[in-house]
Amino acid sequence: MIRKYIALLRMKYIEMLAYRLATFVWMTGAITQPLITMFVWMNIHPEESESFVFYFMAVIFVERMTSAWDVWELDREIREGTFSNLLLRPLHPIHWAIAENIVYKWLFLVILVPVWTVGAAFWPALRPHMTGSQIGWFLLAVVLGAALRFLLSYSCGLLAFWVTKVAAVYGVIDVISLFLSGRIAPLELLPPRLQEWSEWLPFRYMISFPIEIATGAADGGELVRGFAIAGGWMVVLTAALQWLWRAGMRKNQAVGG
Amino acid sequence: MIRVSHLHKSFRVHRREAGWFEAVRHLWRRDYRIVEAVKDVSFTIEKGEIVGFLGPNGAGKTTTMKMLAGLLHPTSGEITVGGVVPFEQKPEFKKMMSLVMGQKSQLIWDIPPMETFLVNKAIYDIDDRAFRQTLEELTELLDLAPLLDKPTRSLSLGQRMRCELAAALLHRPRVLFLDEPTIGLDVHTQENVRRFIVDYNREHETTILLTSHYMGDVAALCDRVMIINYGRLIYDGELSVLTEKLAPYKRLEVRFSRLPKMNWSEYGEVAEVEEGAVVLRVARETAAETAARLLQQFEVRDINIEDPPLEEVIARAFQEEHV
Repeated sequence: MIRKYIALLRMKYIEMLAYRLATFVWMTGAITQPLITMFVWMNIHPEESESFVFYFMAVIFVERMTSAWDVWELDREIREGTFSNLLLRPLHPIHWAIAENIVYKWLFLVILVPVWTVGAAFWPALRPHMTGSQIGWFLLAVVLGAALRFLLSYSCGLLAFWVTKVAAVYGVIDVISLFLSGRIAPLELLPPRLQEWSEWLPFRYMISFPIEIATGAADGGELVRGFAIAGGWMVVLTAALQWLWRAGMRKNQAVGG
Repeated sequence: MIRVSHLHKSFRVHRREAGWFEAVRHLWRRDYRIVEAVKDVSFTIEKGEIVGFLGPNGAGKTTTMKMLAGLLHPTSGEITVGGVVPFEQKPEFKKMMSLVMGQKSQLIWDIPPMETFLVNKAIYDIDDRAFRQTLEELTELLDLAPLLDKPTRSLSLGQRMRCELAAALLHRPRVLFLDEPTIGLDVHTQENVRRFIVDYNREHETTILLTSHYMGDVAALCDRVMIINYGRLIYDGELSVLTEKLAPYKRLEVRFSRLPKMNWSEYGEVAEVEEGAVVLRVARETAAETAARLLQQFEVRDINIEDPPLEEVIARAFQEEHV
């Protein structure tokens, strides 16, 4: 399995280099929205500018590290029939997607960490105040968030066996997640009802939760509770993916050819 | 090697007529109908055989092939390939076979073919020595050396097809499904691909099932053909028997210095008359005798007796309910 992953990672890396411009655009394009939102909030509450700067810079980082584009890939591959090529090989297609995620996120990490470090040198607001264990929990929460988003995105992508242009379905989920994951505003600024919902839905654990750990907003009991709920969603989404996979295989029409 | 019995596949497709009104109506009401793509198909293919799988467009060839390759779930019936049920998608099955689709590429589009080969090497658990050896052999047979490091998208169709075959054969499959492997290729490349398939089959005793619209492929590669139409298998047997059965005549092409003006139909059915030549269809048994008569009675410059073209035979087969 390790040998297979090494080969897949190598191939995805070479493929990524072939898409240099597109990769750059994804990288920078995704930064625009949180930056604008940040300036809007800084304008509304100028007295809290510093915490907004840290929060939205962290959103940019976590959002990139947990982002998932698999639904668009699967939508295209299943609709155009190229998915068959992966199915014919003796390795589950999901490993191709996982390898791709690892390669791209590694690149994001390699770019974002130095940028953050340089930024923090000049801008005190960007300096994190975290203990060693806080850093550990933060990283674990980021990995968990990435896994949750990946599972949701891949599961939605599998719906392409039944529906054409399934990315539209994901678009709706994405809009909901824009609010409930903390991308548009820190969750504490949401109305109490929505805040309550956000705790039980998976979106918070995709972006906001790791940031809450970094700022110290989630610690102690809240930390345990957060990981427990996120872990629960992991189980639910993994089961959903497996069920969709089995049902999808029966439904598959292996179009084209 | 391949055993298929009472295979059925039906799809539920929704039906929609063209037009704006229909499009709107379909937002809340969809009419479905069941399309039976494959009906009660049974056959067996022994190890090392090359079998041509023929049929007009939409007859069920590709659907059957996709079921054999494990991509599609049969509605009913049984399939085993090398003793394994394809649809279970077990790795041991996938390592044993390969499906090449002329219209679909398994090569990764934006990077050189060699990268796909390396990925396949890892995924199919091919060890270094076997990989080097197979790749060397395929590189020579298919003349791949200048292609391996160019991005796939920049290859011509023929070049890509050669790489496609190599990618499919690296793990030395025992069963090979070829769906239109020569589609869109020029005559010369078609010839090369055919020769390669024949050599490969002979050397490795690979079982090959092939669909093609080019009768040249079928004539060059297959002794046995299966013909499918409207989802039913209407013929399974030797190609030569099919020809005798459906086209029990020979083509007699007679050239004269000057074409005599006369009614040729007393010699046979007139297929073509051109300047200085006439083409007759004559019953097999009397072909030799008719030729002798013509030679005796006229000043013949050249005479040619041949089997009817395969296109004609197959076109006839497609019109039949049963052969």
